[in-house]
Amino acid sequence: MLQIEHLTKVYPNGTVALKDVTFTVQDGEFLVIIGLSGSGKSTLLRCINRLIEPTEGRVLWDGANITRASPAELRQLRRHVGMVFQQFNVVKRSSVMTNVLSGRLGYVNSFSSVLGLWSKSDRERALKALERVGIADKADNRADALSGGQQQRVGIARTLMQEPKLILADEPVASLDPVLSHSILRYLEQLNKEGITVLCSLHFLDLVHRYATRVIALKEGVKVFEGLPKEIDRAKFKEIYGEEAQEVRATTVEEG
Amino acid sequence: MAARLSSNPSKRSSITAGLLSLILPGLGQIYARQRYRGVIVLFGAFLAVLIAFWYGVPAWYAAPAVLWLWNVWDAVGAARGKLRSAFLPLLALLVMGYGIGWQVTGIDFSALIRNLDRATSIVIPMFHPDFFSGVETTNSAWAPVEVPCGPNPPEAVNTVNGIHVAISPNCGKLNQELTVQASGLWPDTPTNIQWATPIGDILPLGKGFITDLYVTTDAQGNLDTTIHIPPSALSAAPDPTLPLEHRIYLVQSRPRPGFQLSENGGYVVQGIIQTIFLALISTTFGALGAIPISFLAARNLMGGHPLTLSIYVIVRTLLNILRSIEPLIIAIIFVVIVGLGPFAGAIAITLHTIAALGKLYSEVIEGIDPGPLEAIRAVGGNWIQMVRYAVIPQIVPPFASFTLFRWDINVRTSTIIGFVGGGGIGFYLYQWIIKGDFEAVSSSFIAIAVIVVTLDFVSARVRARLV
Ligand SMILES: Nc1ncnc2c1ncn2[C@@H]1O[C@H](COP(=O)(O)OP(=O)(O)O)[C@@H](O)[C@H]1O
Ligand SMILES: [Mg+2]
Repeated sequence: MLQIEHLTKVYPNGTVALKDVTFTVQDGEFLVIIGLSGSGKSTLLRCINRLIEPTEGRVLWDGANITRASPAELRQLRRHVGMVFQQFNVVKRSSVMTNVLSGRLGYVNSFSSVLGLWSKSDRERALKALERVGIADKADNRADALSGGQQQRVGIARTLMQEPKLILADEPVASLDPVLSHSILRYLEQLNKEGITVLCSLHFLDLVHRYATRVIALKEGVKVFEGLPKEIDRAKFKEIYGEEAQEVRATTVEEG
Repeated sequence: MAARLSSNPSKRSSITAGLLSLILPGLGQIYARQRYRGVIVLFGAFLAVLIAFWYGVPAWYAAPAVLWLWNVWDAVGAARGKLRSAFLPLLALLVMGYGIGWQVTGIDFSALIRNLDRATSIVIPMFHPDFFSGVETTNSAWAPVEVPCGPNPPEAVNTVNGIHVAISPNCGKLNQELTVQASGLWPDTPTNIQWATPIGDILPLGKGFITDLYVTTDAQGNLDTTIHIPPSALSAAPDPTLPLEHRIYLVQSRPRPGFQLSENGGYVVQGIIQTIFLALISTTFGALGAIPISFLAARNLMGGHPLTLSIYVIVRTLLNILRSIEPLIIAIIFVVIVGLGPFAGAIAITLHTIAALGKLYSEVIEGIDPGPLEAIRAVGGNWIQMVRYAVIPQIVPPFASFTLFRWDINVRTSTIIGFVGGGGIGFYLYQWIIKGDFEAVSSSFIAIAVIVVTLDFVSARVRARLV
């Protein structure tokens, strides 16, 4: 269980990105965070694994206070929290294999990893992760030789190396062709069905309806909605996204 | 001009304005509340007068005169609330600027044609690069002579390689005539007769003892001629009254098929190798120095804290200053400190390389994608793992590429560094230019061109693979 309590983030330049946000995520949920760009979705996700230090409030994970964790404890915690990024964040000049192996860095000692020495079991694990996302044949390619959708699969394979209990996905499909969105989200859905809790920010409402078990909406850093996907009707939609907003669909090919 | 006119035209007398400007340029404009314009006019007029005075050609006074007259007209205009075009005074200043430019650069196109004979004396040897020479076989022998005569001088006869040489008399004093007879030489071949002092100095025996003496052998390979003992034969002797053994050499040579590196060609090869390695060493040390410095000069790493930010500003400023000093100037300073030779050149190029690469490297660091760094932090990686897996893969290929390019540039620079005594091919080149040995100059030009073009090509190829 993940508890977010009174989370507030004020950036050094004075921007209030999150204002007193509180909610709870049960194990096994697929929680989707929606909101306009700039509403604080990325900030919220990064406050959970403390890539960004929250200004106030706390994050509890199975009772452990992440916000209070020492640097060493934090690294221990982080290795069970996978993260998938909008820009994939793979090292373009490194091989796919190296990118995937780097997901294991929280488990191995610094010395051998700096020398690039990986155990056989880690290599096998990496190959299995690549097989799961269907790009095992690309293991030796440089990451920049892959398409966007394939790079995001490398990102997911890297997350799998962590044996995560929780995955934070920050707009994982926003940089991809709409038709590719489902192929990526279905991997997350599959992992969720295997028991991994997923927190995912999304833009398109049809994707929210299709994948979310529960939804949270942010507006200017404030939580303005929490509930089931089907509860987001036309009026709620206008409230979250503003009067001008039109609903756009990610794709019409639901099952691609 | 940049001055703007106030919406409310000044109620100033145009006559006063004109008079004031006649006395001191710009004063009238200032009086007419065109302060900015007035100051610029004053400054411009002052500068124009100063320059015209300094260069002393009467014609240059036309420009300040035009400026002065225009300024009176402009002041009157300003008082009436009108802006005059500054085209005329600017044109006058421009004409003066180019005129003086012509004067100080000493442009003299006729010199290009007048000295055609000098040009040909340089250009023609350029077509005969002194790099290879023909090979020769030589045939030589010698006999001893005692100078001055002692109590019992040794016999002046000797046989070497089947060549018999006899001198008579077997001793003598300076300028004395000697008869040289030899047999067993190559027939019908010019033979160089030379004098060798006991310490090994070779003295020519031709006219005035400054040119070589050649005597051709007869059909049987015999030679019979007279020579004079060179007047300078004893100039290096500690005691000119002490009899010592000198030698007379007979040397014949004949071209053989094939060719070899000439003497200067050898220096060219030696100089080029020195230049390439000078550049290699300086590039390596420069790159090693630039790596730590570049991290201090990267804004994204140093911008966080006022202290680190000030280090960043200082390092950047120092790099910019160092980079703006030509390696040639640095080399001159180090030639004075460490003496002539490649070491001074290496220090100069190393310092310049640190500055140049430090800036390029820091720009690479500033341009790295922070995404992968975030990803490594997110999986629980520590700082060193982040550097190894997210930073190094992003910076090493561009670093390598820039370094290779620097080496390429440094080879070119180090050819010039030699001119001020910094070693390498430039050092030889400079001496050949001074000596007027344009055949050697030509061969060094060719060697430099070949090396630079080759390196350019190779480094471009390798760099294309790196990025
Ligand atoms: N590093 C930062 N410094 C200052 N302001 C920031 C920073 N990152 C984000 N912000 C601001 O915080 C607000 C929330 O941003 P973000 O969390 O990225 O929103 P979202 O992911 O929903 O688009 C925005 O107004 C953004 O401009
Ligand atoms: Mg975002």
